[in-house]
Amino acid sequence: MTYLLHIFILIGIYIILSLSLNLIAGYTGILSMAHAAFYGIGAYIAALMALNFNSPFILNLFLAVIGSSILGALVGIPSLRIKDDYFIIATFAFQIIIFNILNNLVSFTGGPMGLPGIPQPVIFGIKISSHFSFLVLTAILCAITYFICNKIVKSPFGRILKAIREDEVFTKSLGKNVSAYKVKIFMISSGLAAISGVMYATYITYIDPTSFTLMESIFIISIVIIGGAGNLKGSIVGAVVLVMLPEILRFVGLPNSIAANIRQMLYGGLLVVFMLWRPQGFIGEYSFNRNNENG
Amino acid sequence: MDNLLKIQNCNKHFNGIIALDDFSCEISKNEIVGLIGPNGAGKSTLFNVITGFISIDSGQITFNNHTITKKAPNKINKFGISRTFQGLRLIRQMTVLDNILLSFKKQPGEHLENVFFKNKKAKEIESENKRKALKLLKDTGIEDKANDLADDLSYGQQKLLSLLCCLASDAELLLLDEPIAGINPAMIEKILFIITELPKKGKSVILIEHNMDAVSQVCERVIFMDTGKKISEGTPEEVRNDPKVIEAYLE
Amino acid sequence: MFQQYIFNTLITSSLYSIIGISFAIIYRTTRFLHFTHAVVFTSGAYFTFLFYKLFGFSIYFSITLAIIFSLLLGCLIEKSIYKPLRKKQASSMILLLASLGIYILLQNLISMIFGDDTKSIRSGVVKEGINILGARITPIQIIIIITSVIVTILLLLFLKKTKTGKAMKAVANDVELANISGISSNRVILISFAIGSALAGLAGILVAFDVDMTPTMGMNTLMMGVVAMIVGGNNIKGIVCAALLLGFAQNFGVWYISSQWQDAIAFVILIIFLLFKPEGFYGKKLRKQSV
Repeated sequence: MTYLLHIFILIGIYIILSLSLNLIAGYTGILSMAHAAFYGIGAYIAALMALNFNSPFILNLFLAVIGSSILGALVGIPSLRIKDDYFIIATFAFQIIIFNILNNLVSFTGGPMGLPGIPQPVIFGIKISSHFSFLVLTAILCAITYFICNKIVKSPFGRILKAIREDEVFTKSLGKNVSAYKVKIFMISSGLAAISGVMYATYITYIDPTSFTLMESIFIISIVIIGGAGNLKGSIVGAVVLVMLPEILRFVGLPNSIAANIRQMLYGGLLVVFMLWRPQGFIGEYSFNRNNENG
Repeated sequence: MDNLLKIQNCNKHFNGIIALDDFSCEISKNEIVGLIGPNGAGKSTLFNVITGFISIDSGQITFNNHTITKKAPNKINKFGISRTFQGLRLIRQMTVLDNILLSFKKQPGEHLENVFFKNKKAKEIESENKRKALKLLKDTGIEDKANDLADDLSYGQQKLLSLLCCLASDAELLLLDEPIAGINPAMIEKILFIITELPKKGKSVILIEHNMDAVSQVCERVIFMDTGKKISEGTPEEVRNDPKVIEAYLE
Repeated sequence: MFQQYIFNTLITSSLYSIIGISFAIIYRTTRFLHFTHAVVFTSGAYFTFLFYKLFGFSIYFSITLAIIFSLLLGCLIEKSIYKPLRKKQASSMILLLASLGIYILLQNLISMIFGDDTKSIRSGVVKEGINILGARITPIQIIIIITSVIVTILLLLFLKKTKTGKAMKAVANDVELANISGISSNRVILISFAIGSALAGLAGILVAFDVDMTPTMGMNTLMMGVVAMIVGGNNIKGIVCAALLLGFAQNFGVWYISSQWQDAIAFVILIIFLLFKPEGFYGKKLRKQSV
């Protein structure tokens, strides 16, 4: 039972991650390889606050979201000048730089040793420590994230994001400040990703940089794409499928040593298969069919 | 006549090719001006220059007494200039209705804070815009297509839609790049009728078009350009009979 | 001490320039980021390990065989995944995503077969460095530098002088135009995959002889090559210059900050270039008129 709850909590964390990345990748059509960096920034901000200042959970969550949004702007602003492939490489670079910072600033982040003993959340005097209470909290945060994302994509604001995804030049000609929209959506998306980070840090009570690698970024992208880019429900489907599938393999009785490899091969393979035959994913509305405008 | 758009001595070179060569012209309020000339004469470049997609090497452009030279395309649109594109640009994966809704200006719902707060006003304006958009579609007889993807329309209907988007933006000056090229006669008539009605609504138009009959039908004034220069200007009749124009076409 | 830094710079730069060039050859003709290149690079090392250590073939035969297998791996990926995707008019983003998928698949396959631990093929080779001008340098490091120079010169000649080389340039400039003028773009792309993959395999082998191998060695090294390509402006001479700049910054950066920051240094240089000189050292302006 605990095991099942654990899986559901993980699914919840990945739903928040993929919903938030969907805003950038699926709705605005910009591939970012740096989502795990924001996930990590959220986790580290909350963990460091809790460990060093013993500050309340809600405040940590708030600061993590704000901090991650500001860094999101830092990635979003270059997207105005750097396009397509080169932008993807730039987000790649950002991801690796953040990983380096987490890994190398040992006195601050604990380096590869990570940060152990992160306190569990206390909200309005209620201590969240059982698996079940964590699941409830994750579900609430998932619902809030979904509500925010849904509001955005259904609004005229969201309509402009989709227009940018399909044709930036035309969107500009209609008087929309494309640059401002890109930066804003990057900030929102990064801020939301930080929520996952905070949940992960306080749930596992230990974080180290290896949870926030480039491979993790690619995994989140895979969830968005396989579930279906440009459709919020797709992100939920994707997270459920990609987190559950390897767990099912566990029951087949694979030795633990190769289970991790199989898990990764599975989603790598799925990504290829979907690109070949169903680039819009299970229920997506965007299939990355726009070609480079530059170069 | 009141001056609306004033282009003064604009020059633009691309990798040694002269796209605009000391080009000047003026557009008044409530008039339709035809812009004609051979392919590669610089007509579309001029549109791109006016709307800020291409920055000029030298020269000045003013609109309603505001200097719009070197302003960003989205800013220029806000001054009241709207355009269509030669290659016909629309958001093809969006519905016809959404394409028009996208074109309205000053939408509170497009501001992030209004997505969450002051939601009521944003919603009111959105539904008002929706009503206006549906009226535009109804007036032009494609209201049954409102919820189809723009991509699923016929080519002529797509051209009509891109014109409707310009109308929705409520611009004072419309730059129309070949609005009737490659479409059927009935649709041509429909689009030309919309264009002729525009001055009555206080709008001006610059029209790039190869179809001289259509130009003569809707334009009081025509500018002929070749190799980035203004060669001739006047009524359609005058320009058609200008020896310099005849020479340019014979070359 | 100073001489040592110079040598280290040369070694690092040589490596980055081989990787950068091998990646650029493919990128120029296909216009998408072929991340699977990282695993092709790694495969060179592991094929050598397989033939040399497990099958007991001679070292030179193993290396030759490994390069051929890397080449075939690259071509196989092109033939079985990329070509069908191009046929479906897939965008460069879709190709990129597919390449990420293949990368994950193959990298984990290597992990599964050979294990995640470090494997070595160095035992037969002299490990001790020799002293040159006050710097310690191992024979394999000298080989890396020489190979990189030879490869660069040969490629420049190949692109300039041969018919295939010219066809590759034509496809790089404009695929449709090249197709119209009778060049089969699919064939040219396959050749660029063959050359690029063979070079990547070779680079993987060289690295393995220098510092051993792990299944994940590819991505970081590839990224350095990609940085060299972008900073260099997707042009062979530019890539060599950029590789020198990167090697210099990383090795001399160590004077001021610890060596853990080498990756970060490279990526900061990349971001500076992308922001302020996106066309790179030698590149033409990349931004075409988008209207």
